[in-house]
Amino acid sequence: MSESGKELYDKVKEKIETSQKEGTLQNQFGTFWKMACTIKTRQHDMRYLYEDTSREFVDKNRDKFIEMREEFVKHMDMYVEKCIDIMRKKNFIVHYAKTNEEAQKIFMEELGDNKTIYKSKSTEAKDIGILDVLKENNIEIKETDLGDVLVQLFNYTLPSFQVGPGAHFTEEEIANKIKEVRGVELEPKAQAIVEYFRSTFRKELLNNVKVSLTSANAISAEDGTIVLGENEGNISIITRATEKHIVVCGITKIVPNILDAVLMTQLQSRINNVSFNYISLISGPSNTSDIQGTSVQGMYGAKEVVVILVDDWRTKAAKENLIYADFLKCLGCKSCIFPCTASRAFGNIYASKYGLGATAIIRDYIHNGIESAVENGLFLCTGCENCYHWCPVSINCGEILKSMKKEATEKGLAPPDLEKYKEKIIKDKNPFL
Amino acid sequence: MTKLIFLGCLSTSKYKSTCANAIKIIQTIDPSYIILDDVPCCGALSYHIGNDLELKDHVEFVNNWFKKNDISEIVTICAGCYNYLTKYYSHFLGDDFEIKVQHLFQFLAIPENLAKLNFNYSGKKVKVSYHDACHLRNAEIPIIEEPRQILNSIDNIELKEMENNKTNSICCGAGGGVFSIFKENSDYNSKLIFDQLNRGKILLTGCPFCYTALKRVKEENQLKKPVVKFEDFIIKIMEGVDPVIE
Repeated sequence: MSESGKELYDKVKEKIETSQKEGTLQNQFGTFWKMACTIKTRQHDMRYLYEDTSREFVDKNRDKFIEMREEFVKHMDMYVEKCIDIMRKKNFIVHYAKTNEEAQKIFMEELGDNKTIYKSKSTEAKDIGILDVLKENNIEIKETDLGDVLVQLFNYTLPSFQVGPGAHFTEEEIANKIKEVRGVELEPKAQAIVEYFRSTFRKELLNNVKVSLTSANAISAEDGTIVLGENEGNISIITRATEKHIVVCGITKIVPNILDAVLMTQLQSRINNVSFNYISLISGPSNTSDIQGTSVQGMYGAKEVVVILVDDWRTKAAKENLIYADFLKCLGCKSCIFPCTASRAFGNIYASKYGLGATAIIRDYIHNGIESAVENGLFLCTGCENCYHWCPVSINCGEILKSMKKEATEKGLAPPDLEKYKEKIIKDKNPFL
Repeated sequence: MTKLIFLGCLSTSKYKSTCANAIKIIQTIDPSYIILDDVPCCGALSYHIGNDLELKDHVEFVNNWFKKNDISEIVTICAGCYNYLTKYYSHFLGDDFEIKVQHLFQFLAIPENLAKLNFNYSGKKVKVSYHDACHLRNAEIPIIEEPRQILNSIDNIELKEMENNKTNSICCGAGGGVFSIFKENSDYNSKLIFDQLNRGKILLTGCPFCYTALKRVKEENQLKKPVVKFEDFIIKIMEGVDPVIE
């Protein structure tokens, strides 16, 4: 049922009140997130491993990033076709899904009788609704990224940071939770916790995976290569030690060529200060021609690599120049989140099931409509445009959100006090009279 | 052809002494700048929530008011007015908006204008920090270097940059009408700005919206260092008064 601006405003206020009470999950996350944003913002100006800072890295490559994304958005149909064509020639099984629903149906068909899926971290899977459909069909989702494993362990359902979804849990909390859920006593130290998962879960990953799910950091249209960056090794394992590796992502992950794809992956690593110790370049299923030159698919790696490329909102946004058309250029680097005024202040209140910050609010709007975006904190945005200043391809999320606010106002969903200001300006020509 | 000092409705309503100071500064440089009564609101606060038709109507109303009063040039002391007059008026009105709009900082930073002000401050050396308001740094023609040029031209005033400055500055958390609906945003972010003052003895701002948020947070948290509006600071310097004393 549709709610009014007052009701939605009260709901957001209530969430903020909860987040300000000590001891609540929202408060715990907020405290962690404030610290993380400060550190992350500072890190962009510091040199760690490299000769340049991540900010300098972005500035140095900015023109290239913009050119790469604008070129794709301008010729989206051509790049999608080219990409699918070369991937099929390389024995990928490629599906092009016009809608999320179609992608979900294809995914379930590809899953077949399997009741368990091992997955890596993926905002795209959330965007495309794969997780929802898996839950509806009682498929067991086994997260493999440690952050997500912890989120599952804690049964944590609030929005979390996409890059380190479990980073707000303390060592003590994790050790206590493992004892409570699994009856295993561990020293409350990161080293011991990691060792526990290495000695137990790693074996399972090496032996039991039949179907795995990943997204892609980028896909090269020129040669159909999927690029996946990671630091844990979980993606390397589940994309090799599996029968079927399913890649689900939006068509916007496509870039013109392999160098662009690697550069984009490198950007994601630099922005998030996550060293991608493993970068996988996957150009098809495992195969061998060692017996009489006969090509046989499925040697030690994945027997099948299925790629589901999803359009859903993307082509429509470009062709109809929708308010979020600029979002098509997004590189998924998350540099807009750390300096965001609203994100810093409100943590997982200014967030949706797609993650934290403005991009998560935009995705929420795209899939669930304006009312959901308002409930998830649309009006917490101050329009400071820090997102724009930090974005390597100059997407102005602030402007997109401003257009969303206008739509909310037209539908009577804006906070009542803002409406009053507007009325005073329009009628009295002075809001402070 | 009238030159107008556009004070903005927030300053006119709440900061009368600052308005008087601004008028004094501008008229010291160019006495032909005047103030008028019943100046309409530029409409800045409604841009987040008004539809295009409403906004166009409002902008046309204000432009007609300018025409009626034969306004040819504007110097505004409000960061929000500067941002919106330069961005949205041309957007909605095209060539029909012919007024030259300057922010006080641009007007002051012109070398011959600076020379007209008494910046020979002989008091003890003061370290100041300047907060870049979003409305100024994000404008069509961003105002970033001008306040620095002005501060650097004053004797015995040393600018100490905050860690986050220029396009990377921290938003006070009050923009977009958020001040009136979710003050928790500025509770956190304005405090962060004070935390970055370090060696700066006072926090200068060129935006009355930022000032309102920063002042509230300073008072509620009993923070010691003063937040001062740029116009008030300049007048103190010109009159040889210690700018640190509130």
